Amino acid sequence: MGPLAPNEIISENTNFLLAFFIGIAFGWVLESSGFSSSRKLAGIFYGYDTVVLKVFFTAALTAMLGLLFMSLFGWIDLDLVYINPTYLTSAIAGGVVMGVGFIMGGFCPGTSFCGAAIGKIDAMVFIGGLFIGVYGFAFTYGWWEKLYLARYLGEPKISDKLGISDGLFGLLMILAALGMFVVAEWAEKTFAREEY
Amino acid sequence: MSNNISINKSRRYLNPYLGGVLLGLVLLAANFVSGRGLGASGAIKSVVATTIGTVNKEAISSMPFMAEYAESHSGSPMKSWLVFQMLGVIVGGFLSGAVAGRLKLKVEHSPKITSRRRLIFALAGGVLFGFGSQLGRGCTSGSALSGMAVLSLGGFLTMMAIFGTAFALAYFFRKNWI
Amino acid sequence: MKQLKLLALIIIPLGIIIAAMPADKVKQSRLTPDELLQEAGAGVQFISPDVVADMLVQKDPSLRLIDVRTPEEFENYSLPGAINVPLSNLLSDEYTDKLNQDAYMNVFYSNGSVYANQAWMITRQLGYENNFVMEGGLNYWFGNILSPVTPSQTSPDEEFARYDFRKSAAAALGGGGVISSDAASPVSKAVKPPVTAKAKKKPSGGC
Repeated sequence: MGPLAPNEIISENTNFLLAFFIGIAFGWVLESSGFSSSRKLAGIFYGYDTVVLKVFFTAALTAMLGLLFMSLFGWIDLDLVYINPTYLTSAIAGGVVMGVGFIMGGFCPGTSFCGAAIGKIDAMVFIGGLFIGVYGFAFTYGWWEKLYLARYLGEPKISDKLGISDGLFGLLMILAALGMFVVAEWAEKTFAREEY
Repeated sequence: MSNNISINKSRRYLNPYLGGVLLGLVLLAANFVSGRGLGASGAIKSVVATTIGTVNKEAISSMPFMAEYAESHSGSPMKSWLVFQMLGVIVGGFLSGAVAGRLKLKVEHSPKITSRRRLIFALAGGVLFGFGSQLGRGCTSGSALSGMAVLSLGGFLTMMAIFGTAFALAYFFRKNWI
Repeated sequence: MKQLKLLALIIIPLGIIIAAMPADKVKQSRLTPDELLQEAGAGVQFISPDVVADMLVQKDPSLRLIDVRTPEEFENYSLPGAINVPLSNLLSDEYTDKLNQDAYMNVFYSNGSVYANQAWMITRQLGYENNFVMEGGLNYWFGNILSPVTPSQTSPDEEFARYDFRKSAAAALGGGGVISSDAASPVSKAVKPPVTAKAKKKPSGGC
């Protein structure tokens, strides 16, 4: 019965070792999908390359369905799976700041490591920026503390807030995502740019 | 001529839907094995915390943000799931690039701007992203992707904020990309 | 586009299947033996008969007494408002709705504590919440609530308060003939026992 580590079926050290291997798979898939290229990543915002949209939503849906089905078969205990907490103010504020960083830098932390791994200097510089930003936050924490801790809602699930079951939400998201994919296919043909 | 090159390049990348399914399976594995999703910015936090601690032991206790973090991680902040995962990401990314022949030291930038301009924006973007990831308690991998998979409301909101903001500002940065 | 159609073809049926599943089949929360041992050992499920008596007197609508003895014993005597779910039929389908719910505070009782506690353990292992055990059962109820023991002169104040409360409760609930004194206020202001906190490991993670 999963998850393995919280149920102490595997030791903490095995958990870390497996984290390494999971990371390898993560890095491999990201790079193979083209996420090591800032140009491809930024493409979603101009229509010429919608790889981010397709990979992101397909992955989220695959994992979501996978978890629900595994729970249905009794292979995993969803109570032991981490759900990100919701701090309303900082979730949005942080997201906005990250959005600016994304459109300027063309990377996010995970993809920047992939880019750096294959030699992209802009990715390495981005990583350098990450360190500065994290340190800056910690250093000025006092100014943001109130904002950071505001409006804690616990760990609500979207399905709970909408008053529908997890499965139904999954289906709705599938339909929404497929709709977006159709639009994305159209966009790529319409806004195509040269590769560089 | 450029048409040929673009066809070549796109063949070498995985089909995005396939890539998405594979990524979803990796995320599923992470949840099954460790009870948590993937992430990235947390590893940066670990490294920063360790660096501060090494350079100046007292500095950590004067930084409440880092102090809580150091406490919740017995031993060193480096002994964290995310740090191991990120080491794997570097290896995995490298291997994939090597197999596909994409290893090359270069600055990737639009031909319409200089590489210096690209690097300046990369740095600035990184600083903002680093800051935002701490404020938002996660980045696109940890909060948005993993959060969505477990139906977290916070994760969903952060994702909307990231992409919404980037879309809204895309027009002003278009010269850098297209 | 071809791959998109293929993806849609696979993922939509999966989505429909999972959406059609009833929510509690999808997410089970059975306890592991370890967790059950922890909770049982801590005794969080026990609730004092005084609290039950107070809730009855106050006509607290959230209380639901469940008699787990045989139907014959239930016919013979039962606490006010109690329903009968014999322990031998505990897992029958007709009672699942009553046992696996979050509207009422179910309090199992039997003659002693043993059978009621067994009922709690079985339902708790299935992940049901909001179930409790009346400690001491009917034996304690008769001996101490309905016919409260007069405290000696040297007893602490709270014993007197408790005695007064029990006398008035007994009168209200049809117990031994006692003139109801001016029970100023019951000892415990129907403090509901905290809903069983999950003794599981809190999941950790984050970016």
